Amino acid sequence: MSATAAMTTTNRGPGRFVPRSAEQWLVAACLFFPTLALVLFFAYPLATIFWQSFVLKDGSVGLGNYAAISSTPGLINAGWNSLVVSLSTTAVCVVLGFAIAYGLDRTCMRGKKALRGTLLLPLLAPSLVQGLGLLFILGRNGLVHQWTGWDLNIYGYSGLLLSDVFYALPQAVMIIQAALRNSDARYYDAASVMGAGGWRKFFDITLPNCKFGLLSAGFVVFTITITDFGNAAVIAGNYRVLATEIFNQVSGQQNFGMGSVVGIVLLAPALLSVYIERVSSQKQFGSASESRIPVQPAPAPARDRVFGLISWLVIFCVGAIVVVVVFASFVKLWPYNMSLTLSNFNVNISSGYKPIWTTLYVSIVAAVVGSVLLFCLAFGTKHISGAPAKAIYLLAVLPVGVPGLVMGLSYIFAFNDPSTPLYLFYGTAILIALCNFYHYHTQGFLTMMTGMRAVPQALEEVISCLGGGTRRVLTDAVLPFIAPTVLAVFFFLFMRSMVTLSAVIFLVTPDLDMASVSVMHLNQAGFVSQAAAFSTIIIVVVAAALIAMKLLVMRLTPQAGGEAA
Amino acid sequence: MTLEIKNVSKQFDSFVALDDINLLVGEHEFVCLLGPSGCGKTTLLRIIAGLLDMGGGQLVFNGRDLSAVPARERGFGIVFQSYSLFPNMTVAQNVGYGLRIRGDAKGTVDKRVAELLELVKMPHLASRFPWQLSGGQQQRVALARALAVDPRLILLDEPLSALDARVRNEMRVEIHDVQRRLKIPTIMVTHDQEEALMLADKIVCMNEGRIEQVGTPQDLYLRPATRFVADFVGVSNLLGTAWVRRNAPGLLAGRPDGPDGDFELCVRPENITLQAAAGAPGHLNSVTFLGNLSRFRVDWDGQRFIVECHAQVRLESGAALSLRIDPDRCNWVHT
Repeated sequence: MSATAAMTTTNRGPGRFVPRSAEQWLVAACLFFPTLALVLFFAYPLATIFWQSFVLKDGSVGLGNYAAISSTPGLINAGWNSLVVSLSTTAVCVVLGFAIAYGLDRTCMRGKKALRGTLLLPLLAPSLVQGLGLLFILGRNGLVHQWTGWDLNIYGYSGLLLSDVFYALPQAVMIIQAALRNSDARYYDAASVMGAGGWRKFFDITLPNCKFGLLSAGFVVFTITITDFGNAAVIAGNYRVLATEIFNQVSGQQNFGMGSVVGIVLLAPALLSVYIERVSSQKQFGSASESRIPVQPAPAPARDRVFGLISWLVIFCVGAIVVVVVFASFVKLWPYNMSLTLSNFNVNISSGYKPIWTTLYVSIVAAVVGSVLLFCLAFGTKHISGAPAKAIYLLAVLPVGVPGLVMGLSYIFAFNDPSTPLYLFYGTAILIALCNFYHYHTQGFLTMMTGMRAVPQALEEVISCLGGGTRRVLTDAVLPFIAPTVLAVFFFLFMRSMVTLSAVIFLVTPDLDMASVSVMHLNQAGFVSQAAAFSTIIIVVVAAALIAMKLLVMRLTPQAGGEAA
Repeated sequence: MTLEIKNVSKQFDSFVALDDINLLVGEHEFVCLLGPSGCGKTTLLRIIAGLLDMGGGQLVFNGRDLSAVPARERGFGIVFQSYSLFPNMTVAQNVGYGLRIRGDAKGTVDKRVAELLELVKMPHLASRFPWQLSGGQQQRVALARALAVDPRLILLDEPLSALDARVRNEMRVEIHDVQRRLKIPTIMVTHDQEEALMLADKIVCMNEGRIEQVGTPQDLYLRPATRFVADFVGVSNLLGTAWVRRNAPGLLAGRPDGPDGDFELCVRPENITLQAAAGAPGHLNSVTFLGNLSRFRVDWDGQRFIVECHAQVRLESGAALSLRIDPDRCNWVHT
């Protein structure tokens, strides 16, 4: 008898619960529904896009689309352009990002707080705002042309490079700064005692310690640049890149098969770089110790001034480009009549303010549904182990490798098919919300898992021993610790849904328009000031959400932080 | 109230965490599960608590089989090393938590909480939050919380390991007093042999998922059964059979029968007498002064001895020494 009992429990792995049916049902439900949703709204659409890439224009199945890549000169060209612009953006962002991160973490330059705040600005707006801002400054109707009469051509490689750098740089800075912050002052003290000078310490300690941070920043920047649609759509002009090419193939030429092939071509570098980034970040943060002593920079006037100058200059540009858009939205006729007005907010073309309300609704749905599903999934995976846990984890972190355009396109294939019951979702705001949620699933899931790991297991066990059931465990042990995390995930999903463009571009209809798409359409139609006004509204909403989140998280964080004091 | 542990085993994948554990925890008894990390002591405690399902075997508490009883219905109290207090509740709310779960009336809860805070000597801190307390105070609250529900058995999982030395000593005395007063059977997991020797009525010394020896603190220290116990509890000089035959054949008298490799002689450092004598076989290697006693390292025929004496003996390194081992104060242990 004992032998068989041993067998079954071993198979179940080191379960933390003695068989208690109610609890196990709960865990099972927590796992089942989010996983089912992941399969339906992520894995299945992705599978259909793979399938579609083999469907030829005449309806037959084969490798024709892949074979056609080489005979489509535009595609090869776009692929090459994408690679060039992404690699150069990555190089610039890693170098500048390291300089700024180093300045913020290791020097005593002035105004660090203001710099950090400015760095958040690009995250508040759709990615096409950088392109829009550049047009306002350097475009044919830009400030520079107006003042100097120079004929600059900002459309093309240089404009795209600039707007991508300004869009991606903040993320590079944050990643590298996290890596720098991870170091320990004792390494430097030990090196000083052994007689190492400043440069020696830099090359022997600082650089090796943040090399994974640099690597990781490089891959993140590369991924977001090669998959970015917004800035490319606004400023690339005739400089074709893969992201705009997908859109042209599908929306322009109705060539779905070819569109999905380009999507899969885009998927490959994105997935690869996400994988490498994951591996390297694990190496980087695996070595972090709890008891580290943070490095405190000592003032060095010359160095501080140099880093201050670089950081202020670059971050001024990052911020200015967003601020210019906001400012332009209040200007009568940029740049000819700079008097202020609110008339740009009087949007009377297309559907007026409806897209804003739709976007708000979609974002709230995405945030509510997303945070509930992610909470359940994180709670469930914490209570299982072994192969099923690993499989669910893998599925849950996969979406980050799928570019928004590919997500959106795959949704068309999966849901615009009257022969399946999923067709019910097609053309609804709910589907856009789900698409946005799964587009940002990974980041939300990882945050939730980190929060869940911070819930002390011993506290849950104390409640069990004192006679409390699952409800007690949830309300008294899990929620007090995880509430700030749930809140952060909620606002993260909300803010991303508000600004994302690439995933929703394929899902909008004239009746169901999203704000970021409206910005693009307004810009394309020449209503640049209205486009700026729309962007300003998005920025204001997202900024308000960010402030609300900070305040709420501060209130909800358990005071256990006092222990460290 | 007695707890019987019968043939309990537990396996994590291919790793055997517990291998056929049998143990009886008697009424009012304070039992320490002692062993190095990874020996299975915490696994056993968690199985007893019902936080982990056992691979095989049986737990019988007061004649009732616990296999199908979940943790929340066992009525045991538990204290972890990581205080595990509710960060959002005051000291009083923490202590009264179990009673509130049970649905006791507010008056009853308040009265009981006051009693327990009195017991752990911190009634004046009732309205503080955990983060306003020191580690020792937090652990007292955790203990009070476990005791509040009148548990039928108390489980302590390395409750003192996170505390600094002085507080740990105070808490040891306190846990000892409280347990003797309330007479609730208690099982404590520890890797600290000193703690086990001081607190336990019965020590269960574990190694690699098996019980090496069960006995009183005196049993374990004076009559260790295995080489592992002799080594883990206190300091031992372990002498091979061949060495004893060559240098002290008189001590062979108590040796059980068996091949040479099966048994070693265990001699505690304080049970060896040193005598300076010219031409004696032992050579003094070094002396360490430890305040009330001195520790000597002596080499004799390839064997390093550790000897401790209270007397202030003045000896030079390299001095020739004779060592005398009292045959009544050493014993043969299984290797």
